[in-house]
Amino acid sequence: MKTTSLYSTSGKLWKSIALTLPMFLLTFVFITGGKPDFSSSSAIFSFVVTFIFFNTLFFLMLYTGKTDRFRAIGFIAMALFFALVFIVNLVKMRGSMSFSNENLLSCEIPFCHIVTTMIIIPIVLTKSIIFPGSILTGFASIASMLVIVIGISLALGRGFCSWGCFYGGWDDGTSRILRRPVIKNVNPNWRWFSFAFLLIIALSAAITLTPTYCSWFCPFKTVTEYEKITNFDTLMKTIVFVSLFLSLVIILPVLTRKRIQCGTFCPMGALMSFTNKINPFEVTIDKEKCNDCKKCIRTCPTFSMVEPGLSKGRPEITCMKCGKCIDECSQNAISYHIRGTPSGKAFTAARTLFLYPAFTLLVVFAGGNIQYGIVLLIRFFSTGSFM
Amino acid sequence: MHSSEGFLLGLSTGAVCLATCGPVLIPYLLAESNAVVKNFLEVGLFLSGRLVAYVLTGVITGIAGTLFLQNHVFQGFVPGIIDVILSLSLLAYAFFRFRHVCPGETSNQLAGRLGLHWPEAIPLLGGFASGLNFCPPFILAIAQASASGNIAGSVIYFVAFFAGTSLYFIPLPFIGFFRRKQSLTIIGKFAAIIAGLYFLYKGIFIIFH
Ligand code: SF4
Ligand code: SF4
Repeated sequence: MKTTSLYSTSGKLWKSIALTLPMFLLTFVFITGGKPDFSSSSAIFSFVVTFIFFNTLFFLMLYTGKTDRFRAIGFIAMALFFALVFIVNLVKMRGSMSFSNENLLSCEIPFCHIVTTMIIIPIVLTKSIIFPGSILTGFASIASMLVIVIGISLALGRGFCSWGCFYGGWDDGTSRILRRPVIKNVNPNWRWFSFAFLLIIALSAAITLTPTYCSWFCPFKTVTEYEKITNFDTLMKTIVFVSLFLSLVIILPVLTRKRIQCGTFCPMGALMSFTNKINPFEVTIDKEKCNDCKKCIRTCPTFSMVEPGLSKGRPEITCMKCGKCIDECSQNAISYHIRGTPSGKAFTAARTLFLYPAFTLLVVFAGGNIQYGIVLLIRFFSTGSFM
Repeated sequence: MHSSEGFLLGLSTGAVCLATCGPVLIPYLLAESNAVVKNFLEVGLFLSGRLVAYVLTGVITGIAGTLFLQNHVFQGFVPGIIDVILSLSLLAYAFFRFRHVCPGETSNQLAGRLGLHWPEAIPLLGGFASGLNFCPPFILAIAQASASGNIAGSVIYFVAFFAGTSLYFIPLPFIGFFRRKQSLTIIGKFAAIIAGLYFLYKGIFIIFH
């Protein structure tokens, strides 16, 4: 008996190492962006740390069979390093985190994926893009972001919100600070708020021909860039940004242990939910194995696991494929599933096939930022300045 | 801007209109035919009935607006007050449970008799009656439209409001969509809250300027 278990443990170990090997290549390519820079010791050090960081996470996912706890580490690190690198770059380029009218007029604002929700109707109606960014050039150009958003939607659906979004790690992180929620039993219907908000945002942008969410409601302006305060209007906007950040990204996620910003507010999340229907991966529940303990309902940070879903055998369309409910289910009743394949079978193969594209997405968005962020931190601790 | 505001108001509350009047229209569509093209025709007639009701309300509201809102004091202050009161009712409407009854339902008996001789009249009549649903969004639309102070402006506002609410009826011929009625109602109510807050802000802004 003992021999068998030892054999299976070492078998699992070698299998996990073998499955991690392709990720070595992918992480190398995406962290370095195809152009390795080993010109300084800090560059080499940061590359090695980032490379080991990602491959260890991927190996642990395969070896332990747990997804969310390792995904979350990479995802939260992405959000923090993205903010650090973005702010330092802005200060280098413009001297501050704020942008002026001149920056707006010269279309120097980086395009973020959330703007997608506001440009579609104006493109159809007026054939113009209502965002002051560059269409093809610079980092985060409009064309490249749109291609990325469409590609990810087809591949992972709303999985983007747990594996690729460089903002999502904020409330994913804060929702894990307390061990137990202070505010319990939040009505899951709040998840529909983001759909109503998407409706209003898309329409108001079409009517006013301005990206209304960016101008008035984006909580992440607080940790990226914002309009220079020059009058009452810009002062009001800044107050709104900071209050939304504090309430939706920090305080409420801490108190509820739910991803309040992503699960109830973000219009991009609502839009992405529709794409959950048109991609190969989904999360399913085996009703035969489920003992109705409802732990997944309590655990799901996005209000996507609800009673009717349990009886239907799948979560709501808002599911972000984070894997938390899968990790928590003691009956192994929940799993990743590939549409069109028989359910309840090839459980591990479906999960592994999902993990490759999902984890690669994480590396694509986080790799460069984490590596450069480490260089910045080394610089800060050795010289006292990020510049 | 005036008409786009009507459109926005219609869109933000249209989901509730669909959830309220859908149950009247759906059984009819199901009973009558399951052909998508035929269903489109029925929904088209239903919407035409609504449009007639809205244009009529627009004309009456426009006349009332010309009579009462010519005065400068009224022009500045009254629309602001109306905005505030009605946006509050829009918020109350979203927060509390009201039993929504589609007025189209009451026209069913008459429609039953009419249907024998002129079946197209049923969805047309149902649409007309449902268009006269005096719910807070509709009353808010009346207040907004009357603020234009002329008949043409008021009619345009109502046509825009009609366009906004009607978008939700377009997928109806593909009946299956309606299975999500409950979530649609919730989304509609949330949208009504956001629209209510916007009109509240606008009302207060008008009063203090
Ligand atoms: S919901 Fe929005 S902010 Fe959250 S992860 Fe998705 S796109 Fe990002
Ligand atoms: S249903 Fe499961 S996988 Fe989907 S968001 Fe909720 S916890 Fe994550």
